[in-house]
Amino acid sequence: MLIERKSYLFEMIRNELADAVGAEFVNCADSDKMGHSIDYYWIPELWHDRGKETKKPDFVVHPGSAEEVSKVLKIANQYQIPVTTWGGGSGSQGGALPVYGGIILDTKRMNKVLQIDEQSLSVTCETGIIARHLEWEVNKAGYSTMHLPASIACATIGGFLAHRGTGVLSTKWGKIEDMVMSLEVVTPTGEIIQTLPVPRHASGPDLTMLFLGSEGTLGVITKVTLKIHPQPEARKFRAFIFEDMHTAMSAGADLMRSRLRPCAVRLYDEEETSHHVKRVLGLDRKGAYLVFGFDGQEKIVDLEMEYALQIMSRYKAEDLGSKGGELWWENKYKFFYPGYMFHLPQAFGTLDTVADFAHIEKVYQAMKDVVKTNFPQARFIGHFSHWYEWGCMLYARFIFEGEHVPADAEEAVALYNRVWDLAIRAAIANGGVINEHHGVGLKLGRLMKELYGDGFKVLEGIKKTLDPNNIMNPGKMGFKGV
Amino acid sequence: MNIEKHTEAIKACRFCFMCRHLSGIGNVTFRESDTPRVRALLLDQVMSNPALLANADTLETLYNSDLSAACRYHCVKHFDENGLLLAAREDVVKAGLAPADVCQVAAEYLARPAAPAISGKGDVLYFIDYNTAAVPAIATAFGKIMKKAGVSYRSAEKGCPGKALKVLGYANEAQKAAREFAAAVNAANVKTIVVSNPAAYDALVHDFPEMGIKLKGKVMHTSEYLLSLKLACRKKAGALYYLESDFLKNYHPDYEFPGKLLSHLGAKRLTFGTNNEESYTCGEGALVLQQLRPVLVKKLACYIEARADHPEKDLLVTASPYTRKQLSTHTKLKVVTLEELTASLI
Ligand SMILES: Cc1cc2nc3c(=O)[nH]c(=O)nc-3n(C[C@H](O)[C@H](O)[C@H](O)COP(=O)(O)OP(=O)(O)OC[C@H]3O[C@@H](n4cnc5c(N)ncnc54)[C@H](O)[C@@H]3O)c2cc1C
Ligand code: SF4
Repeated sequence: MLIERKSYLFEMIRNELADAVGAEFVNCADSDKMGHSIDYYWIPELWHDRGKETKKPDFVVHPGSAEEVSKVLKIANQYQIPVTTWGGGSGSQGGALPVYGGIILDTKRMNKVLQIDEQSLSVTCETGIIARHLEWEVNKAGYSTMHLPASIACATIGGFLAHRGTGVLSTKWGKIEDMVMSLEVVTPTGEIIQTLPVPRHASGPDLTMLFLGSEGTLGVITKVTLKIHPQPEARKFRAFIFEDMHTAMSAGADLMRSRLRPCAVRLYDEEETSHHVKRVLGLDRKGAYLVFGFDGQEKIVDLEMEYALQIMSRYKAEDLGSKGGELWWENKYKFFYPGYMFHLPQAFGTLDTVADFAHIEKVYQAMKDVVKTNFPQARFIGHFSHWYEWGCMLYARFIFEGEHVPADAEEAVALYNRVWDLAIRAAIANGGVINEHHGVGLKLGRLMKELYGDGFKVLEGIKKTLDPNNIMNPGKMGFKGV
Repeated sequence: MNIEKHTEAIKACRFCFMCRHLSGIGNVTFRESDTPRVRALLLDQVMSNPALLANADTLETLYNSDLSAACRYHCVKHFDENGLLLAAREDVVKAGLAPADVCQVAAEYLARPAAPAISGKGDVLYFIDYNTAAVPAIATAFGKIMKKAGVSYRSAEKGCPGKALKVLGYANEAQKAAREFAAAVNAANVKTIVVSNPAAYDALVHDFPEMGIKLKGKVMHTSEYLLSLKLACRKKAGALYYLESDFLKNYHPDYEFPGKLLSHLGAKRLTFGTNNEESYTCGEGALVLQQLRPVLVKKLACYIEARADHPEKDLLVTASPYTRKQLSTHTKLKVVTLEELTASLI
């Protein structure tokens, strides 16, 4: 932001914002500005770790309703101040960072569950609610959203909508975009709009889908109606150790092609099995760990499991039984806690992508080769987490141990970006895409034009129309900066 | 600096979001600064530049916490985000940076005699600290139970084992108070010391040994002691919601006695709110939060009220006199302590 903190214009804007959301909810405290200058993206973490100044917002506002969001956006348009929407800040792509200063619009005050509709099986809530809190509320009524991501405790529902996020049960219950019925959105110019009430229709193009994945660049999603489901009577898991990842991938793909409906399938490559899976689950095996599960009515679950086991029996694999599978389910979030998760001084990144079964192994190999060849000092591990009828998601990671990370912050960032550029280009060249569920943000914006080609002009046109003053999250997702 | 002892927690928490759903204050202020992550980030900066501890916003953040330890309890590796904050407060006070409101509350506690006034006869000493004394019905209920059980006991009224001072960062003063308190209690030469306030329980069972202070007599929270009396009940407690105490759940994870006492009383425990992870205590862990941040305490109370199934009908039971007081003051909830519940059933 170009306005000086000490200027009277700054105070005038602060007053206007206070008028819009209440003085208590306009915050300029250094501690909060610090908190909003670092999300889950490795680069600001490194920047902080190296004692460098991270980019801070000028104001942090906490609107309590769509109307208040609208007022804030109108003020921002008036003074042409960048607005960055912040949910939980758990995004790994730098999407919520206020890289041009300005206003952080923190959504967490909009945290109400408005209705649980037991006739249609849906829940309507404000989007600043933390996913865990929503799930708890829905559980109390006897249901589940079935959206159980590893960041359930820290990310908001709005963040997942903005990123097209995914939970561990996505293989049966879908990504967040499959769960949405309808949205309320405040557009960058402050109009409050409601998308159509149902997700299937032939009433023109789908506005709901336009906003899903828009990462705060096309407006603020303020309300959502999501599908909910009765808690399943049973949820059962089974795990196997395959000799190698390729064989396990064939078995996993067979499972999906059989059109059985597992709620989760996860396959870890040899490297991740022998290190990460061992560390977290205490399972000491060589080979590739494949786990899957079914949920629903117990009889149906048992029958599906029986068919799934028939598929597995065609392969040479060690059956770890239901114990080996439950172990993963019980510890599914443990992978992400300090003590188990990668952390500075390591440099690491999740190169997640998705492709169909015809391409996914090529994508994996190409990414692995490019990392190994260009950065022999780095480790490359991967697992396949979210499976579809036609393919699956690759959750690959590169890791540099601390001694291989340049001490100089700028050099470390350059190294980091080079890995991303090479690895993501390798994915795209082999049938993958930039990302599957973490989004684009600041991290990968520069690659959007390469991915979309001329198609990106369509997105730019939409952005320009909706956000003529370019106030919403400028410089993200490949869109123009300030 | 004291926070250096907690470097591990700083490094773990500074980029971690995994327990933010349990940040009691964060859930009512919606501020990022009221989470273990941002507090660790701020203290990480302080480690490399101690002058930053003087920042007024940092100080406000450090004293905002409800110290429930819900995050530490939830954390897979139990990183001590709570201990880090206490250490930081100690550094603040040592550096002479304690904000005026903190100094004022500390002054109140410093002015109080540490040694309790002891009266009565018997092998059991019942400690009525300031928080317990603030709800006279608790000591009355305890007296009724003891009469029924035919046990004579001594009362140790008021007095200060140093917990409030410790929480405010006044470590030396806390230790001095603890020693004076212990000397007075030890002079009474009792077999059993019973406390209603879980904060006092934590002080006597955890802080005292850490300071090298020995108490004669076994320390019990009232739940443990009342259970040991094997009281016969006239009627069953029935359906109720038990609000866990931060100290008895998150600080002493294996403390099973409130649950056992409730079973003994024939309680049918219902789940309060939506989960058993959040702290529903109004900031019990921070002990003097009501004096320091009354607006936040009110918000915490309203947060709890909003989670009740039938706010004006449900019976809520707490082990904490502090929680009892705050909920009765700020909400319409019907809340009693374990002692009051027990007395009403025997
Ligand atoms: C430990 C850990 C594990 C993770 N595991 C998963 C996982 O299993 N699945 C998964 O999908 N992700 C995962 N993530 C990533 C992250 O949680 C998701 O990207 C999540 O969607 C971010 O939500 P948030 O509320 O934290 O959003 P933020 O990080 O605050 O914001 C992310 C982006 O969304 C925008 N935004 C936020 N709210 C809104 C809104 N209401 N309207 C418009 N734009 C908005 C922001 O401007 C920003 O561009 C994980 C992250 C962590 C830290
Ligand atoms: S206490 Fe544990 S879960 Fe919470 S922020 Fe620290 S490391 Fe993360």
